[in-house]
Amino acid sequence: MQKKTRFTAVALLAIMLLVIMGSVVAQGDVTITVWSWRTEDEDAYNEIFAVYEAANPGVNVEFVPFVNTDYNNILATGLTGEGGPDVVQLRAYGSLQPLIEAGQLLPLDDLSTLENFTPAILKGSQGIQDGHIYGVPFGVQALGAFYNVGMFEELGVSEPETWEDFIAILDAAAAAGYIPLANPAKDSWMLPILHDAVAAPRYGGPEFEAAVLAGETNFNDPNYVASIAVLQDLQPYLPPDVVGVAYNDARTLFITGLSPIFIGGSFEIGFWQSEAPDMEVGMFMVPPPPDSLAGSFVPSWMDGSYGVNALTDSPEASLALVEWMGTQEFGQLFTDKIHQISPAAGVVSSDPLLAEFAAGMTENPASYLLLVNFRYGDPSGTTVLGNELQRMFLGEVTPEEVAAALQTGMEQWFVPANAE
Amino acid sequence: MTAITGQKDEKRGQTARRRNTLMPSRLTIALFLLPAFLLYTIFMIYPLVQALIFSTFEFNGLVRGAFVGLQNFEQLFTRYPISEQLPRAFVHNVYFFIGTMLIQNTLGLLFAVLLHRPRFGKRFFRVVFTLPYLISPLVVGYLWSLMLNPLFGPVNATLRNLGLGSLARPWLGDPATALPVVILVNAWMWVGFPMLLFGAGLAGIEDDLREAARIDGASNWQIFRWIEFPLLTPVIGIVTVLTFIGNFNAFGIVWALGGVDGTPAGATDVLGLVFFRTAFRGGADAFGLASALAVLMFLFIFTVSVLVQTWFRRLESRMQ
Repeated sequence: MQKKTRFTAVALLAIMLLVIMGSVVAQGDVTITVWSWRTEDEDAYNEIFAVYEAANPGVNVEFVPFVNTDYNNILATGLTGEGGPDVVQLRAYGSLQPLIEAGQLLPLDDLSTLENFTPAILKGSQGIQDGHIYGVPFGVQALGAFYNVGMFEELGVSEPETWEDFIAILDAAAAAGYIPLANPAKDSWMLPILHDAVAAPRYGGPEFEAAVLAGETNFNDPNYVASIAVLQDLQPYLPPDVVGVAYNDARTLFITGLSPIFIGGSFEIGFWQSEAPDMEVGMFMVPPPPDSLAGSFVPSWMDGSYGVNALTDSPEASLALVEWMGTQEFGQLFTDKIHQISPAAGVVSSDPLLAEFAAGMTENPASYLLLVNFRYGDPSGTTVLGNELQRMFLGEVTPEEVAAALQTGMEQWFVPANAE
Repeated sequence: MTAITGQKDEKRGQTARRRNTLMPSRLTIALFLLPAFLLYTIFMIYPLVQALIFSTFEFNGLVRGAFVGLQNFEQLFTRYPISEQLPRAFVHNVYFFIGTMLIQNTLGLLFAVLLHRPRFGKRFFRVVFTLPYLISPLVVGYLWSLMLNPLFGPVNATLRNLGLGSLARPWLGDPATALPVVILVNAWMWVGFPMLLFGAGLAGIEDDLREAARIDGASNWQIFRWIEFPLLTPVIGIVTVLTFIGNFNAFGIVWALGGVDGTPAGATDVLGLVFFRTAFRGGADAFGLASALAVLMFLFIFTVSVLVQTWFRRLESRMQ
């Protein structure tokens, strides 16, 4: 018993000391705690924030990353009480909404640097109910086709301009004994990516997006069904038994030179560079399939943003930091040090592949339709389409049935703008 | 693990007498039980009750909303796509249980019988058969998914090299083979467990009985069928209940082999995966819905376990 009392006393003393020390620090300096799910970027962020600290004496920025998969739960707890962060890295679109609806974030509509972003990008940190902006975007991802430059030379082909060119490349690769397209189907989340990167022109990209959001059409639209059928036509070029081929198997096919093309997201670039540093990788937009309603797109989405905890002790310093994270200066540091695309105006990537994605995204913009617009409810659009495309590759369902299942899933929660 | 009843009446009388003289006071017993009881209440009963309460509320992220009664339970059966996934996953769990009983537990019994008769290498094989369940299910699942990989895996490569290329297939990518493969891998992992339990059961059967039978001219099979097998009833009961609970809570190994969606096209989807998806990948109201599913799963597993155990108890007492 006595031991316990002593322990309690020591613990109390320690807590008091910490509190005193904390307030001493607070009198002189402000410490802004930033929570993030990017453990791998800790060094880069510390370098970036050092630039801010140098320009703003008296402000300390502490970057605290957590394991990606646990981050949502850690954040949900951290925002509810004492000891939480000041600035938080936020997921985009649908995943962000629970925090907004719980009133745990400060609205940022008055920040001057929001002007550096397009409305399409800002949609990722917007409250779907109230329309306010709750985060300053830090990154975007885009979709396209990666190709092995050396293998293209060996096959005597170059970046395709038309769908016929594209099919000719695939045929040439198959004739040479390669698997023409490395893409997997065991990990179902890769399938909507393949669909949008290849077939967005077939359903019409942004025009269809506007129509489906307005309720003028839905996923049973014949053009959307036809866009799904495009993937069925490509199945012979995918790895054999594609539903048994996992994401990492597919990436291995590409980096080991068994397959010349991998269709995916700009987030793969780091992997190509670290795992196959000697391989020269190029990027092209898949040309529009036959009967397309539009030209090629580089579908993209906002990756996430930085917002401010509504319970922060230093709202002014936190808002100032987040405002700076919307500047071109931050964007340039971000893309140079973290090797991802910054959505801030005026930022130019030094990595040629990244720059090509960024340029494509600006010149031929489209939303990655299901991620951007159909993750606000359960089930999410990407989940339903992924699972159904898997069944289509197994021969269990037709493109019509895939589209119908997607429509049924979305009807569970999605209300078009002109309904009622 | 289990006392084999029915043969050691003499010994039992002795222990009972000893127990009377050394019986500690009720307070002492209560004190000894208290730590376990407290831990059990805090970490088992309390979360269960909590889940039951959560299942009747609306949720928005981690923020609890209004009381909604049984609405979450209703949603489980009416909201697409969970309304389709739940019955499918349940059927898969039933297959999983039947397959495991037939393959894993039958093999476990066979190995136990083979290793019971004193023979060279008995201990070695016991260790070999029990080793896989010391490995995490995730690791086992990952290793087997590498072995069965349709592009780089050694299983298909071996088949092709043996001239059996027509048998090579995407084991985990074909809906017809995916669930059976999961059952086999799971059996590979756990077969040592029923083997140990059955082995202990066999060791508890008095050799006099076998000798008497042998003198009467019974064959090995007859001894197993009419003496050992009936006396193993309590162990079979326990193995059945544990298998049932294990299979209906299966998660790790299925997740490692088929991913969170139970690929291909939901062919390996089980209740544990549906729960995981609902809780951690569902919409804003996921918490209430997932709690409702957890409550249903608990009630089902609990009820069936109690029924099975009662049935086996009755079977045992009828045999005595």
